[in-house]
Amino acid sequence: MTHQPPKWADRFLRWYCHPYFLEEIEGDIYELFDRRMVDQHPKIAKLKFIWDVFRFFRWSNIKRSNSKYSKMNQLQLFRNYLKLGFRNIRKNPLSSSINIFGLAIAICFAISIYIFTDMQLSMDRFHVNGDRIYQLTNYVDQDGSEELWSDSPILLGPALLADHPTIESMARVEYRSTIVKKGNEVFDELAVFVDPSFITMFSFPVLGGDPNALEKKSQIIISKDMAIKYFANEDPVGQELSFRFTNDELRRFTVGAVLDEYPYNNSIRFGFILPISNFFDLNFPNTNDWTFLTDATFVMMKEGESVGSIMDSFEGYIATQHASNPEWKLASIHPINLYNLSKESYQLVGSVSGGGHPAGRIALIVIALFLLGMACFNFMNISVVSASKRLKEIALRKVMGSVRKEIIKQFMTENLLQCFFALIVGSLLAYFLLVPWFDRMIPEMEIAFRTYDPLDLILFMVGLLAFVGVISGAYPSFYISRFDTITIFKGKEKFGSKNLFSKIMLGFQFFLAIMTIVGCFIMTEQSIYLGEKDWGYDPTGTMSIYVNGNEQYDLLKNELINHPAIAKHTSSDQLIGRGISKISLEWGDRQIGVRRIRATNDYFDTFRLRLKEGRALTDQAFDQQSGAVVNERFVKSLGWEDPIGKTFMYDSIQRTVIGVVEDFHYYSFFNGIDPVMILGLDESQAHYLTIQADPAQIEELDQYAKEAWLKVAPNDPYDRVFQEDVFDDFYRENQSNISILILITFIAVVLACLGLYGLLSFNVQGKLKEFSVRKVLGAEPGAIVRIVGKQYIWVLLISFMIGAPLGSIGMMNLVVSVFPDPKAVSAIPFIVAMLLILATLIITVAGQVRKAINVNPAELLRSE
Amino acid sequence: MKGTHLGELEELVLLTVGSLFDEAYGVAVMDEVKATTGRDMNISAIHAVLRRLEEKGLLKSRMGGSTNERGGRRKRLFTLTKVGKLALDESISIRKSLYDRIPNITYQFSI
Repeated sequence: MTHQPPKWADRFLRWYCHPYFLEEIEGDIYELFDRRMVDQHPKIAKLKFIWDVFRFFRWSNIKRSNSKYSKMNQLQLFRNYLKLGFRNIRKNPLSSSINIFGLAIAICFAISIYIFTDMQLSMDRFHVNGDRIYQLTNYVDQDGSEELWSDSPILLGPALLADHPTIESMARVEYRSTIVKKGNEVFDELAVFVDPSFITMFSFPVLGGDPNALEKKSQIIISKDMAIKYFANEDPVGQELSFRFTNDELRRFTVGAVLDEYPYNNSIRFGFILPISNFFDLNFPNTNDWTFLTDATFVMMKEGESVGSIMDSFEGYIATQHASNPEWKLASIHPINLYNLSKESYQLVGSVSGGGHPAGRIALIVIALFLLGMACFNFMNISVVSASKRLKEIALRKVMGSVRKEIIKQFMTENLLQCFFALIVGSLLAYFLLVPWFDRMIPEMEIAFRTYDPLDLILFMVGLLAFVGVISGAYPSFYISRFDTITIFKGKEKFGSKNLFSKIMLGFQFFLAIMTIVGCFIMTEQSIYLGEKDWGYDPTGTMSIYVNGNEQYDLLKNELINHPAIAKHTSSDQLIGRGISKISLEWGDRQIGVRRIRATNDYFDTFRLRLKEGRALTDQAFDQQSGAVVNERFVKSLGWEDPIGKTFMYDSIQRTVIGVVEDFHYYSFFNGIDPVMILGLDESQAHYLTIQADPAQIEELDQYAKEAWLKVAPNDPYDRVFQEDVFDDFYRENQSNISILILITFIAVVLACLGLYGLLSFNVQGKLKEFSVRKVLGAEPGAIVRIVGKQYIWVLLISFMIGAPLGSIGMMNLVVSVFPDPKAVSAIPFIVAMLLILATLIITVAGQVRKAINVNPAELLRSE
Repeated sequence: MKGTHLGELEELVLLTVGSLFDEAYGVAVMDEVKATTGRDMNISAIHAVLRRLEEKGLLKSRMGGSTNERGGRRKRLFTLTKVGKLALDESISIRKSLYDRIPNITYQFSI
């Protein structure tokens, strides 16, 4: 018979068919095929053969093993594997603890980062209606680049609510600084005016009182913190507080309700919540006008309505806004869902929600993955090498009838067992050490060992176990189970020392370590650079006092300036270090965002700003009316070659540049420096009186000023700023960043070191006989060191060559996005990383090398 | 009850196996069924029925010797067990007794 049935069909039959039935089934099909070949067309016979094969594909014919005995056997074997796993952990305490500890550190880090990330991603999720709440932010064209602003026209919200039936409610948020008085105590506070719907729209937990308190104009809601601050042990509900606003309007309010402590994943925190109707009574200018920008506008869509239904109408509102305020033109309105607000708040100017830059989060996730990767490679390497001691066991198992699958299962079980221990240790480390440490390092956030959905954390841990277990356990199991029984027993299996794979693994591990270390050092260098950065002025011995209005200013100034310790004094409307408001400047067809300070003459001397060109402001009428001193950034952004005498329009007055000062930091160093202009100030509008004195006497002067203040304005808090302290928050944050980076570097080094140590100790162990023979033949200790070190130096060098540039490129991309004015990368991070790795290498190698050198040939070779 | 009930196809196959005596294997049974009743059945269906009957204890099987046909693959040869024979007897007798009552009934309806 020349014709054969289709091979693939037969193969399929053999694959699925239970071996017990295979022969009879195959026989019958073949018999039928042969018969059909005689009286039918071969093609039809083949088709019928295929048909038969498929018809036999039935449950009863399919290969499966569900016999009771085999199940019991599996369980027994599994118990045996577990037992052996435990025994092996105890038998090799060193390698097991390196494995477990290394993995645990990485797992601890991964869990902490997960918790941290989860917290940021679940921000504001507790607001029940959050999916329907949107903040209406808007883009404003600033000199070609669009900035996203939180501030929106105060009339936008009501207009939208009136025009769109799809909107359920609207709430505006208006911040005002205020002075709160209770009895004889006065405090500076930030009050926030909101529409009464704010409370029903958001789901802030209410501790006591009437949640609808804001419906009554005379009632306010305060946070728990404020309740404790003002009313310590009393019941705050029903108590009175008086508020004095910046324009001296005085109002009394009754506490209507107290909010409970804010949930940990809350990004919007207000102390005093007042009904917005009061704000319109306060006689601030233009508050009922499209020109006025309120701090935030939220809308809540009706159930089932999408925000898309109102998007089309935005154009119309923008046109209205443009008509009334040509100085500050909204380019477009951009609704942001509440759940995403804190994630976007880093790019949202004046956001009411707090939230970090995503770069930090991404960097931490990448680093966690790196550390996990390193730990997995560690594990892989050590597992493979430590199995070299167990080759005979494997061979014997094979002889006794174990198939390869069973050996894979055995090693997987053992590896998973170790991973499981690592998970427990790692979770404990995270719970007791790392998470609380993060909490301390980042005081703005309450980081605790929890996730928004507790199930997530459990799932994450299980996933982590599976991931780590499979990644780190798969290779060793497959590799080890492959060995041939006979070569093992003959002792011919070459293993360990010449294993290219374990070298590649080690190289990869070093590569990750070097990348992490170089990256962290670059980041640390930037942070240190930022911390040491010149402020652009000299803050020592400078102290400023906030005054509310002309009268206070004059009185305080008279009390103070005659004090002999005061060298210089000046006044200004805003203070360097407390943020300076941004205004928009027309320059040709460009709009430029400029920070504006108004100051009196001695300002430059008192703050010791460094004049680069021209002169400071003087008493001359010209200087006072139209003179401007600008910073270098200002000059650069306008592209002036020779700035002195150049003019620009601001506030309908032509200003002439009379001087240029060096750039100085006026706010957090994380933000870049904007163009700044300093204009003359009429002393009657001063808000800060700044004095400069001998630093040694500043404390005494502070006391003196405080007493003077009590005479001048007993109803206002004494708000004094030491210029040297203004950036304390920034420095603390910067220091935390440096600490976190150093910790990561440390972990990376420890992991790399553990990996090397584990591998090396096995390697030396396996070569002790070789060393003995070499020693007998007269090898110097140096030669032995060279043999041990040689193979690792190359691995190290190659991984450094690849890792260092990659790490620095990656990190610089991040640095550029976070730091406004990054420092060029120096050679130091590379040198430090190399030295660090070399030092670890030497320390880890040294112990093992000593073992190799001190080997006593007589003892080791005696047995052969 | 599954254990004792004989289906129509099962009964047919059981009878065929009995009639083929020692030569009853898959293809032979299929051919015999085709020849006597004209029913075209797929070989896999025959196998399924044979196996079910064996599980019920009505048939027993052994592997035949290997021959040159079928590429040297052995046949599984089925024979009736005592229980199988009894089951056939019982089913025939039930049929017989039922059949015996037929004429009366047809008479009543024949007008």
